[in-house]
Amino acid sequence: MNNVGKFSRGRKYTNGEITVYWKPGSCIHASFCYRELIEVFDPSRRPWVNMYGATTEEIIKTVDMCPTDALTWKWNDEKRNINIDPSHTNHISFRRPELINDDTQASAEPVSVKVMPYGPLVINGTFTMKYDGKIKEVNESVVSLCRCGASNRMPFCDGNHRKTGFNDE
Amino acid sequence: MTSMENGSSKKLKPQAEIEIFNKGPVRIKGNFIIRDIKRDIMETISEEIYLCRCGRSKSKPYCDGSHEK
Repeated sequence: MNNVGKFSRGRKYTNGEITVYWKPGSCIHASFCYRELIEVFDPSRRPWVNMYGATTEEIIKTVDMCPTDALTWKWNDEKRNINIDPSHTNHISFRRPELINDDTQASAEPVSVKVMPYGPLVINGTFTMKYDGKIKEVNESVVSLCRCGASNRMPFCDGNHRKTGFNDE
Repeated sequence: MTSMENGSSKKLKPQAEIEIFNKGPVRIKGNFIIRDIKRDIMETISEEIYLCRCGRSKSKPYCDGSHEK
């Protein structure tokens, strides 16, 4: 499950900047969403919403085309959710005011995994790490894992890839 | 694995689980984005992935089982 949150009133998806709410019972299958932006709204995929398939602007434009409250959206930065222009028909303040104080997505930032060229894996965010029978909780922090096999501090990177000439092909 | 530090006002839910296999790959599952800078790939994957830790995989950054040879 990627960037998906299940909650009592449906589902929600975030790209960090906006949250899109999905209320399946309201969908009348008008199909504006996937005709307009299949990169984001693809009913054949699970999860069917991929918030990284298009820009925030494109997602907002498409969600505003939904003729019901099946798809609605809000800014994650709450300050931006006041005085929304009425042209944004599917902002939650117009369609689903009951969600205005929904803050259950507060910590839903996905973990970032970066594969560094000729170097380690750099993993950033809030996650659990299991190794050597231990469980480590990493809270909004970063670890660097060896990818070349030559570290003396396994599983962490100690910079040895520079000496051993790690072939990253 | 249950509670975070006591007294911490900010209690964040872990978004992903990273597991290191002894003499094997690292498995990542949960809510994450992988960016491979050299190969210019950025993707969100809805399942788990296994990444090479031995340096010998032919399909880096993913594990291809070469560590067993």
